[in-house]
Amino acid sequence: MENNFERGSALSIFGSDRREDFMALVFALIIAFGVYFTY
Amino acid sequence: MVYTKKSPALFIIGVIMLAIWYAAGNGMLDGYMEHLAAGKKYKYGAELTSIPMYFGILSVVIGAWQWFGSHREGSWDYYSSTVAGGMFILLIAMLVRWFIAPEIAVISMSMGKVGDTGKYIHKLLGLNYVVMGILTGIVIVNVFKVPEWAKNGVRLSRLGLKTGVILLGTLYSAAELKNLGGLSIIMIGFFVLGSVGMVLWMGAKRNIPNSMGGVLSAGMGVCGVSATVASAPVVQAKSVEIAYTIGTILLWGVGCMFIFPIIGNLLGMSHVQFGAWAGTGILNSAQVAGAALAYQPDGIETLKVAEIFNITRVLVLPIIVLWLAVWYVRREESVTETVNVGRVIFEKFPVFVLGFILLFALSTTGMFAPANHYKGKYFDNTKTKLLSPEQAQVLNSEANKVQVAERQEALQRLLSNGKIMSIDDDTTIRGLINAKVMSKDANKILKKAHKSVRHTAKKIKAFREWITWLFAFGLVGLGMQITVSSMKQAGGQPAVIGGVVGLTKAVLSLVVVMLIVGETV
Repeated sequence: MENNFERGSALSIFGSDRREDFMALVFALIIAFGVYFTY
Repeated sequence: MVYTKKSPALFIIGVIMLAIWYAAGNGMLDGYMEHLAAGKKYKYGAELTSIPMYFGILSVVIGAWQWFGSHREGSWDYYSSTVAGGMFILLIAMLVRWFIAPEIAVISMSMGKVGDTGKYIHKLLGLNYVVMGILTGIVIVNVFKVPEWAKNGVRLSRLGLKTGVILLGTLYSAAELKNLGGLSIIMIGFFVLGSVGMVLWMGAKRNIPNSMGGVLSAGMGVCGVSATVASAPVVQAKSVEIAYTIGTILLWGVGCMFIFPIIGNLLGMSHVQFGAWAGTGILNSAQVAGAALAYQPDGIETLKVAEIFNITRVLVLPIIVLWLAVWYVRREESVTETVNVGRVIFEKFPVFVLGFILLFALSTTGMFAPANHYKGKYFDNTKTKLLSPEQAQVLNSEANKVQVAERQEALQRLLSNGKIMSIDDDTTIRGLINAKVMSKDANKILKKAHKSVRHTAKKIKAFREWITWLFAFGLVGLGMQITVSSMKQAGGQPAVIGGVVGLTKAVLSLVVVMLIVGETV
């Protein structure tokens, strides 16, 4: 896929894989604690 | 560069979602849902009356602002502009999951079951909402092109997949490992590691990219979409490489599902032997179950053994992902001079794998479900309603129909205690139900007794729903990154390697099973 974006890459909106990983971890922990306290 | 497009698209997507929610909530879709359910209860009623409302409101509000507001260059513009593409993917995932995939199932069921497999063609081909979602994404990008306003948001798909993979860790617990047979661990360990090693070795010999070899090895060694998706970011696999891997696994799995039972019958394999072979040699979970049920349609002994092996294989996934992470980093860096492997691994090691392990560890503590849960279900007979005297009388009168000693003993324990006393008894009673040796009324009582000691962990159920949606979202977006031209560039090497490794694994596992596996594991 051709990259037409100034930021991120063709496959991600984030500048590096590590930043994307951390964001995924943050989202996953938010969901996990949300589920833990809701159910 | 200003990323937000002054387009009504997101607003319209929100209106469509709200229309679905309104129609479902007011009974306008009842007739259609009944048609899609094909005589059963429509599975997605609760989702239809909640999810489109939340995302519909969000889309309408942000969509109105994007359409009528003024936009300036900056981080807020950059990140908020991804919402349109994200909601576009989500709407497609909704339509595929709720309407398109069930419609395909209805059409498939109207065509009848396929031969002796006892399964419909959509089940055999794995035409579920996941595969349909990827296919829809591929059709959109190749036939219609991704609209300009959605392009930025399509790049959110990998974030969705990574979040889903981290949450997958909640579905496992170390307690499951303890319950697995030693033989399955040794056999699966050998064949998973052997397959991964063989794919990586063949990939190097045939000069395929490291990313392609890495993702194919996980798919061929472990199983299915989850392993492929989990390993893809670790080896930085491209969308087309993931598509090739999934295609190779599904094609091989479907072929094995038909051929394995024929060979098993020709060789006169026992249920345990066939289960061990299917659970080791067939690549994909759905087709493992299909082959086991095709071999023994009137009982679950084969399926039980096959599933033990299959689960062991899935549990090896974190180890394989770790191995591939280290392998990929070392290989990619090997071209440069004097590389500090430890430093490179520290810098490049995927944090989301640690997230998976973190949630696996939390799950093992029993934080989300009792530690003995399996797929979110656990055994607990402390608050179970006892059998009524009438129910006990029905079971007593038919007890002489049960011939297998293990089943007789489990049934006697149920009768004397009024409830199922252990997880092993529960499994045996399920086998008795599936064997259909007792009358319908007696089986109904047994089913009730089984259900009263099996509980679903609500937290695990909620996690499974989140994972389902994150994967659906990620895979539709993934499909939108697969173009025909990029498929052509990849060539036919993955299919060749997949075929050779798959055949080797099937033949070798058959030999090992015939030599060392007897009637019991």
